[in-house]
Amino acid sequence: MAQIVGGIGSSHAPSIGSAWDKGLLQDPLWRPVFDGYAAARAWLAEQKPDLFVIVYNDHANRFFFDAYPTFALGVGDLHAQADEGYGKRDLPDLKGDPDFAWHIARSLVEDEFDPTICQEMTLDHGVLSFLPALADLAVPVIPLAVNVIQHPIPTARRLYRLGLALRRAIQTGPADRRVVVMGTGGLSHQLHGTQVGRFNAAWDNEFLDLLESDPERLAALPHRDWMERGGTEGVEMIMWLAMRGAMGPNPTRAFRNYQVPMTTGYGLLALNPDQVAVQPPST
Amino acid sequence: MTSPAHDIVSGALVFTGERSRLGYRLNRMAMSLTQPANRAAFQADEAAYMRAMGLDDVEIDRVLRRDWKAMLDNGGSIYLLLKIAGSVGHTLQQVGAHTGGITPEALAERNKKA
Repeated sequence: MAQIVGGIGSSHAPSIGSAWDKGLLQDPLWRPVFDGYAAARAWLAEQKPDLFVIVYNDHANRFFFDAYPTFALGVGDLHAQADEGYGKRDLPDLKGDPDFAWHIARSLVEDEFDPTICQEMTLDHGVLSFLPALADLAVPVIPLAVNVIQHPIPTARRLYRLGLALRRAIQTGPADRRVVVMGTGGLSHQLHGTQVGRFNAAWDNEFLDLLESDPERLAALPHRDWMERGGTEGVEMIMWLAMRGAMGPNPTRAFRNYQVPMTTGYGLLALNPDQVAVQPPST
Repeated sequence: MTSPAHDIVSGALVFTGERSRLGYRLNRMAMSLTQPANRAAFQADEAAYMRAMGLDDVEIDRVLRRDWKAMLDNGGSIYLLLKIAGSVGHTLQQVGAHTGGITPEALAERNKKA
């Protein structure tokens, strides 16, 4: 019987991966960020996970706008690293979990989510920027990519419901697994335009509060509100709602960190899931 | 072609389907630069590479002039522009600052005030 043993919300940004590769763990700018990952890493190891389900977005690396899926699930044996346009980093390919992933595919489709099912998935910084700092890269990964870069994109509520559906899918899984669900992206950042470089630390912290205490309020926010508060790229914060949905009604916080050193508001949140029984599919 | 005002949030263009259509050739060319062999061909002769990828003279000129703002205004996705930037040695900060009409130094100052 598979069980959900934890949830992680994390920012993703090329700069985290680059700083990790350069070994900037003690750099004054980066130390508060990496100290946060070290603490979360210790908590994560205690949960003894043997499968990660990671909800993230591809930044036009695996997919291009010739055919850009709204949801895409990686069901392969191995997930290679994508070349994002400046060469690959020195990282191993990540293992998949095909039987479990195909079960998730079936369960999601029964639950009226219809991902593009990918036997070949390459991963970009949406997964690989923060993961080396957080986790053992030998743990198998089932990646679930979400379109948050070409509008129309799914609503915040759709992501929350995706998390509820993932919870059902994982808890009915075909093998004994200890699963950690991750949602990645954000936090506030603006990569272009007249307000390029703006942050919104107040909103980021409100978001982290509400994600724990009142995800329904976040689920009700229209995209324009997310973008006005957290930037046009900051809308990717909605993917954390999928992690939150998978945690059940009343998760408890294990760890939280927030830093604003560079391009992006860097958030990190670890949740202990609510251990309520499996719910029937919503109608 | 100008951008529809209703797809601008706090001075930033929202990458809509309409913009994706407008910038399709540029973005497709940029996507090709995720292959090392294509990057090398682009770096060897940018204009010839872009012409072979079907870009017109106006689109090619914007890239040659590193006019990131014009590329963005004409349907370039920020994520695809960053692949062109990587091939020509420009940073995320240079691209972002240019689209905002400020210097990279001014952007760095703005980041520090977070």
